[in-house]
Amino acid sequence: MKFAKIIFIIFALFPFYLSAETAEEQGLRIAKASYENGRGFTDMVSDQLMILIDPKGNEVTREVSSKTLENLDPNDGDKSLTYFKTPKDVEGTVMLSHTHISDDDDQWLYLPALGRVKRISSSNKSGAFMGSEVAFEDFSGTDYRKYEWKFLGEEMENNETFYKLESYPNYENSGYSKRISLIDNLNRAYKVDFYDRKGELLKTLYLEDYVLYKDKIWMANTMKVENIQNKNITIFKWLNRELDVGINKKDFEKSSILRLAD
Amino acid sequence: MNLEDRIEIFGKILVNHRIKVILGSLLIIFTISFGMKFLETPSGYRGFVEEDFKYYKDVLDLEEKYGNIDVLTLVVKPEKGNIFQKDVLSLIHELTEISWQTPYSSRVSSITNHQYTTVDGDDISISDFIDDVDSLSTNEIANLYNAAVLEDAVVNFVMSESGKIGLVNINLEMPEDIAFQEPISFAWEQKNYFEDRYEDIFVGVAGTAQFSHNFQSTSESDASKMYPSFLLLIIILTYILLRSVVASIISLIVIMLSILPSLGAAGWLGFEVQPPLITAPIIILTISLTHAIHMLSIGLTNMTEGMTKNDAIIESLKINFIPIFLTSFTTAAGIAGINFGDIPAYSEMANTVVIGAGIGFILSVTMLPAMFSLLPINARKRKSYVLEVLKNLGELIYKFKERFVIVITAICIAVFSLLPNLHFDDYFSSYFDRVPEWLEVKNTVDPEFGSSFYIFSDMQSNEPDGITNPEYLKKLDEFESWLLTQPEVADVSTISDVIKTLNKNMNGGLDEYYAIPDNKALIAQYLLLYEFSVPYGMDLKNQMTADKSDSRILIRTNNSTSMESVAFNARVDEWVNENISPFSTNGVAGIPIMMPQLFVENTRGLVIGLLISFTFIIMVVGISLQSFRYGIISIVPNIIPFVLGFGLLTLATDMVTAAHQFAVLISIGLVVDATIHFLSKYKKALAINLPPREAIQYCFRFVGYPIIVASICLFSGFLFLTQSMFYYNFIIGGMCALIIMIALLIDLLLLPALLLIFGKKV
Repeated sequence: MKFAKIIFIIFALFPFYLSAETAEEQGLRIAKASYENGRGFTDMVSDQLMILIDPKGNEVTREVSSKTLENLDPNDGDKSLTYFKTPKDVEGTVMLSHTHISDDDDQWLYLPALGRVKRISSSNKSGAFMGSEVAFEDFSGTDYRKYEWKFLGEEMENNETFYKLESYPNYENSGYSKRISLIDNLNRAYKVDFYDRKGELLKTLYLEDYVLYKDKIWMANTMKVENIQNKNITIFKWLNRELDVGINKKDFEKSSILRLAD
Repeated sequence: MNLEDRIEIFGKILVNHRIKVILGSLLIIFTISFGMKFLETPSGYRGFVEEDFKYYKDVLDLEEKYGNIDVLTLVVKPEKGNIFQKDVLSLIHELTEISWQTPYSSRVSSITNHQYTTVDGDDISISDFIDDVDSLSTNEIANLYNAAVLEDAVVNFVMSESGKIGLVNINLEMPEDIAFQEPISFAWEQKNYFEDRYEDIFVGVAGTAQFSHNFQSTSESDASKMYPSFLLLIIILTYILLRSVVASIISLIVIMLSILPSLGAAGWLGFEVQPPLITAPIIILTISLTHAIHMLSIGLTNMTEGMTKNDAIIESLKINFIPIFLTSFTTAAGIAGINFGDIPAYSEMANTVVIGAGIGFILSVTMLPAMFSLLPINARKRKSYVLEVLKNLGELIYKFKERFVIVITAICIAVFSLLPNLHFDDYFSSYFDRVPEWLEVKNTVDPEFGSSFYIFSDMQSNEPDGITNPEYLKKLDEFESWLLTQPEVADVSTISDVIKTLNKNMNGGLDEYYAIPDNKALIAQYLLLYEFSVPYGMDLKNQMTADKSDSRILIRTNNSTSMESVAFNARVDEWVNENISPFSTNGVAGIPIMMPQLFVENTRGLVIGLLISFTFIIMVVGISLQSFRYGIISIVPNIIPFVLGFGLLTLATDMVTAAHQFAVLISIGLVVDATIHFLSKYKKALAINLPPREAIQYCFRFVGYPIIVASICLFSGFLFLTQSMFYYNFIIGGMCALIIMIALLIDLLLLPALLLIFGKKV
């Protein structure tokens, strides 16, 4: 009987052996699932509002619209076009960017007042842009491959259970030492804490207003970034978001910007 | 029943209930002393101004818009040559990287992470000015200086024009009520580490953060270095003056016990341990010591003349109660005048001393007699040479009274004629010139950069996105050009420099395009581009508001005196009024504006305080002597020490700083003490019908010795303050010591002669 008992115990424990992935593997798995949650949109158009709120409550709103082309090549990033609408002085300015997984992104800017397209190469764009609390790397950083991951456990917040992940940038010149993300059971990112280079909490990103597109893609239509250190808040809102509308791929080439700017 | 009888009854009660008196006093003392744990860490230069001081509010407004103004600077200077050497650049590069780890840091800028733009047609490439030092060839390094010296944002901000010094500037975003301790400790660790590794390169810690931290560090070092040795000095002094071990112990216990509750009360009141407060215990101790010496020496003398111990101390109490009360009162009244000034740190010091003077008085007339009665004391008769000398002096003055008055008056007039050489002014940057580490850094930075200090101006376009208006930028340029003509200004940086550089880079890097374009939309688009390509901690948030309506001008200042700065500020306001429209600005703000304005306001307040305190003291003297004539006579020996003291000051300097003014208010009440003692005795002598000649001898016999002893105590105490690392404490100590010494001489030489000539029996 003793023998049978041992066999029983081994079998009982077997599922645990199977699931015994490391915290790093588990973190990567969840991060990948979360990333893939938002993939498969093919292309996308939307209007965006960027609202800057200072500690006194003063608000500034900037409007842009954008087109994004999903890159189906798993080893390269998406392409996007951003049209600036307000303030009036920058109306008609267009930015084309080709993001890359491991190399620096390519960026072209069409300045209507100059009538020329300028190519900007900068190895370090970790700074907050347009007076906001958001840096480029916060967007490109959604790609799980740019980070090392670690699963920290589960955490309750607002009566919901979240996976808690820690991630470290594996590229140079990042403004952050680490990020802590909370992912819900539908693999949607709910909240991300960014820690600055000296390891102190810098800002918190909240992802809200999730909408399910095409019955399979979850996208947050509101992102709120609260800078803990300087007490500024930036809110991004996506309006009129449409997926899979069939944009011409050629629009995303440098040579097309001048044509598209009109 | 007259006052003396009441005091005698009071003395008897004290002696009969001595244990209760001692234990009761101890209980109260320790309860109050408990407040010491609430003493607050100094908040640096910010604790030197009132929260609602206009020029401090300007700074706070600026900080609300553009972030904290405090900068921690690491200074790098090779012993030979400029910073463009491989090891120096490696050091700066590494130091820049590690500086991001500084607690509360928000930005780090240096020559290595300066964002350098290179242009190739329509391709614009932005990168760190110096990234991989090891890969640079000797030739490339040599060319770096020529490139760096052309960059606006580099010269005078992260590199001196000569290239001899490089700076790593760390902007700090300090939460409220947090001292600079952590970032400063971090910076000093880096200094020590890098100086160890690179022998021939100097690394120093500077900037407003270090300046501010000096307030805390000098307080700490003063307290830890000065207090123990001061205590030793007091022990020796007490023994020399009393020649009795037990009496010395009593006086030491009483004076120590008057300090603890004073600091305790300061704690309960929420005072900060700024450098001025460090002087309070020393001043309180000195004042209490003079009381104790008066009480004990007369008590001991009485015993040698055969009285019992209890009778001896009750008799001493009768003689001393009123003078000790009066002198405590005048001392407190003088120092309290400091409250008319505008520097909270000094008001807190003054109020602590006032409390201490009160406690010192109470203990001298309660606990001290009780302890005297309780402890075994043997008084030895001693022969006094001092009394012999004083007796001869009295005779001499009687014989040559007119000559004494004439000679001293002549000296006074001669010295008085020196006074116009003096004027009110100071250098706020000299506060810590006695701290060797600070002085070394200051002497390194100032010749190359002007100073470590910045001022700022908030220029408002009065409309959203108005800073991209070419007119606005041209106005900025105009303001900048005018500022650069001012001797107080070392360099200026504005957002218009950024736009000009962008315009050049957008036009193939041609120098002729280093100008403000005339197209508002173009400027806005340049800025948009710029804002998309900046690294972490390099954005423009500290230079412009989010709605782009206002921008900040950064001005590096030269070392100027307070009066120069105030005049400069007035010229700025005038220029702004005449030229800035249709835009607006509140002028300039920053430490080099705030501290000089504080000096001016403080001086104005102290002059009023001095007039009120002095009038009050003279009235107290007149009332206590019940004589208008004596009140008037008392003015002479109380003013002359200040005239002579400040006359002698002209030999050393022409500047009367706030510290000199404080010294007047601190010493005025002390100088008066000796006069009170002397005049009251002279009046008493005349009252018992002694002729003037005998009356002078009477005064010398009874108060001559105590006056000398008290002056020596005060002189030693103040002289001791000159060891302080805080420049103002040093001046206060030196000035007070000088004035007290002169006052003693005047009281011994001039006052008797004046009394012989003018002092009639009332």
